[in-house]
Amino acid sequence: MTDVAGAGTLQLQPVGQSRRIGRRLRRRKSFVVGVTGLTLIIGAAVLAPWLAPHDPMQQDLMATLLPPAWVEGGSPDFPFGTDALGRDVLSRMMYGARNSLLIAFFAVLIAASLGLAAGVTAGFSRSSMDALLMRMGDMQLAFPFILLAIIVLGVVTDRTALHIILVLGIPGWILYARVVRSRVLSEREKDYVTAAHAIGAGRSRQLRKYVLPAVWQVVLVIALLDFGFVILVESTLSFLGFGLTPPEPSWGSILAEGKRSMIVSPWLAVLPGLAIMLTVLAVNLTADGAADVLDPKLRKGVFRRRRQQDTGRQTVTADETGAVAQDDAAGTARRDDGPLLQVVDLHAEFPFDERSVYAVRGVSFAVDRGKTLGIVGESGSGKSVTALSILQLLDAPGRVTHGRVVFDGRDLTRIPDAEMSRLRGRQLGMIFQNPSASLNPVMTIGSQMVETIAAHQAGAGNRTDVARAALADVGIGDPDRVLRRYPFQLSGGMNQRVMIALAMIARPDLLIADEPTTALDVTTQAQVLEQLVAVTHDHDTALILITHDIALVHEYADDVIVMYAGRIFEAGPVRDVVRQPRHPYTKALLDSVPRADLEPNERLRAIPGELPDPSKPQPGCPFAARCAYVMDICRVEDPPLIEVAEHREAACHLPALPDAPPRAPSEVSV
Amino acid sequence: MALVVFGVVTIVFVLLRVAAGDPARLMNPPGQQEELVQLTRERIGTDRPIIEQYVDYVVGVFQGDLGTSFHGNQAVLTEVMAALPNTVALAVVTILVSSIIALALGIAAALRPNTALDRGVLVYVSIALATPSFWLAIILVLIFSVRLGWLPAIDMQGPQSFVLPVATLTVALTPVLIRTVRQSFLETLGDDHVRAARARGISERRVILVHGLKVAALPLITLVGIQAGLILAGSYVVESIFNWPGIGKLTLDAVAGRNFPMIQGGVLVAALVFVVVNFVVDLTYAVLDPRIRLGYR
Repeated sequence: MTDVAGAGTLQLQPVGQSRRIGRRLRRRKSFVVGVTGLTLIIGAAVLAPWLAPHDPMQQDLMATLLPPAWVEGGSPDFPFGTDALGRDVLSRMMYGARNSLLIAFFAVLIAASLGLAAGVTAGFSRSSMDALLMRMGDMQLAFPFILLAIIVLGVVTDRTALHIILVLGIPGWILYARVVRSRVLSEREKDYVTAAHAIGAGRSRQLRKYVLPAVWQVVLVIALLDFGFVILVESTLSFLGFGLTPPEPSWGSILAEGKRSMIVSPWLAVLPGLAIMLTVLAVNLTADGAADVLDPKLRKGVFRRRRQQDTGRQTVTADETGAVAQDDAAGTARRDDGPLLQVVDLHAEFPFDERSVYAVRGVSFAVDRGKTLGIVGESGSGKSVTALSILQLLDAPGRVTHGRVVFDGRDLTRIPDAEMSRLRGRQLGMIFQNPSASLNPVMTIGSQMVETIAAHQAGAGNRTDVARAALADVGIGDPDRVLRRYPFQLSGGMNQRVMIALAMIARPDLLIADEPTTALDVTTQAQVLEQLVAVTHDHDTALILITHDIALVHEYADDVIVMYAGRIFEAGPVRDVVRQPRHPYTKALLDSVPRADLEPNERLRAIPGELPDPSKPQPGCPFAARCAYVMDICRVEDPPLIEVAEHREAACHLPALPDAPPRAPSEVSV
Repeated sequence: MALVVFGVVTIVFVLLRVAAGDPARLMNPPGQQEELVQLTRERIGTDRPIIEQYVDYVVGVFQGDLGTSFHGNQAVLTEVMAALPNTVALAVVTILVSSIIALALGIAAALRPNTALDRGVLVYVSIALATPSFWLAIILVLIFSVRLGWLPAIDMQGPQSFVLPVATLTVALTPVLIRTVRQSFLETLGDDHVRAARARGISERRVILVHGLKVAALPLITLVGIQAGLILAGSYVVESIFNWPGIGKLTLDAVAGRNFPMIQGGVLVAALVFVVVNFVVDLTYAVLDPRIRLGYR
């Protein structure tokens, strides 16, 4: 799933880059609002000498504490009213904006320059200098600099704007330095930078050509966020009386003066604060928008933002319902005669912002009670998505768009969430590829087993005894010790045994094992698999064994389906399929398995090429580009899955596979 | 960490002596005779070389003597220890209230991403992030004390005095916390172990409140530790507005009066509190996360 999401993240390309960024930015409403607000505020500040109705210092003792124009008693001459000395508040706020924004701008400039310099130095030197700079940063981050700022500015006798800029700016360096350093480190590892170094490009050239283009965007985003923060800090300092010396206005100092007459004239305190808030809000909105678009790393979470339950269900369109009702009559055959699980024309897709990934497109199969079905395919073939679709556990935004999953007579795609949740674990279990990540890292094995036992009222008597017995059942010798352990204290093989025990606690009718041993050591793989097969066999539980290893399936499964690009290429009894594959892909899979009877010089055949892009359905057979038997028709027409012999299905235009491919695989054009 | 405390104290000590002008002159009326000013200097000890003052100070600190106020004769340690509980009380209540709010809103938003609720929470986060604490404090006073007369505006007089200062600090603290809780919850809900818990039939309620929370709450604790600086800085502002007799107000008053020993005392305590908070956070984390408690990298 992660690689699908990764493929969707924005890749910045130099060509047309700025235009594309501009388009993306304009699409974000909050960004547009932020930039507009910021422009207005900066405009008002810059044009204050021309726009401001009054001199900000000019006192008028005849017109003190006038309310704003829209309040009764206000005068249109003073739109925002006047302060205790009769000065026009609007003009003071406009001039105050000049001071606040300029101070913040220069402070950020200093912080960014220092941080850039320090980050580049640290990144390029990677030695004691690097350690020293980062250590300094740690120490500085460990203490709230605003306290120091207050003290420094508080005791300095003649405060000027320069003091404030330096005090606010210098401590900010570390924000930039850290990010720049890590970007420089990762950038200089890249091949083209190393190559440039090898052909003698100097440091400054490397910096200009490769490093700066990679860091400017992130520096810009940080600078924007920092800008908002510095405005807040500066106004706080002015408010506490440690800002510019009066009568020079800044937002904080107007507010501080307003505080004295706040009971009589509350607007004096309200208006400047509002100005600060709106400015910082505008800056933050701009920064967020820029971060989203400029820095692909920050976008990662985007794909997970939709809710599981909302999207896990398929929608049934009007003309579809008729067909479904018809199918149901046939599909919901009596519980005991029909297969335990019947998947019919299953489609699942992951709709992302820009395009959809069609992970499963029309998969049908059945599993009988107590039988083992193997699903074989490369990563990305849709086998895991199929499994998760059966359990209704697709990660959002993935969803089943079409098809039925009839389990024990009921269509799982149409039953309510709560009911599905009761079925899971009790009648349908699943174990996953990475056992150590599939157990809660901060709960003991015991508590996870006990909660599962409690959820299903499984077993009889004391829950710990039930847990102990369940662990013993999967061949764990000292269950008591394991119960007290956390997952990270156990080996992967042990964790997978625990997962099997957990899944089997309620004696489900069906267990789906998704690459159960792929993450394990070779030596434990066989043991765990034996255990899995034995325990499901003992309890007459049907097993779906998902793997990329056709040899495993051969050993343990009754039937097999071979999946490719979200579809089934071949299905049938394992023995027959292995002995005589009917699809070139199955044959290729079999040829890539090491065998004892291989001649010493004979080489394993890897399958050339890659799976097609699942977001771009193309005409023809999805395997055409990699197939050793490819014919012209394959590139045009997608072969349907048809019955080729008794209990045998294959999706290939070739009626039967000849013994040798017409061309060696190495000649296949990809 | 000890190094940080030492460094901060030293920097403040030197800065005060170098940048702050002559406190003795400030303590005397303008135009006072030079001899009398010199007497003041001798009394408060600023006539001696800075190195000597510094060594004296550091030796004193190790003996539990933080010096004597320039104004009057109170021992700095006594004053600081009297103020500290008030600041700690404010901070503890703030952290509790903020954490509860952040967990509730963060989880609610993470469970229903891109709904009206989620957007509402994110709008609150944006606005709260942009709101200056001192301004919010004033607005709250204007509304709840001046206009409605419900709550005391200043001073510590029983539980209701906590409401406005805590509300101010909570608005400052919650946006960052909410964002983190929401993000870590979103991530945790996508974790393999959450899916596996669902797959074995654990109820959705339990998946969220036990499995999700146990993992997703960990970053919150770290963050509270990191934000201790923000709380401390915020309490300076809030204490000065609400006339709260804590470390912040003590330090700000001392800055205004160039009361060097008191400033140093305030900073030293702030730095120590900081170190203690970080230590407590590490401990809590270890208690809650067995991977750290049991030494797993």
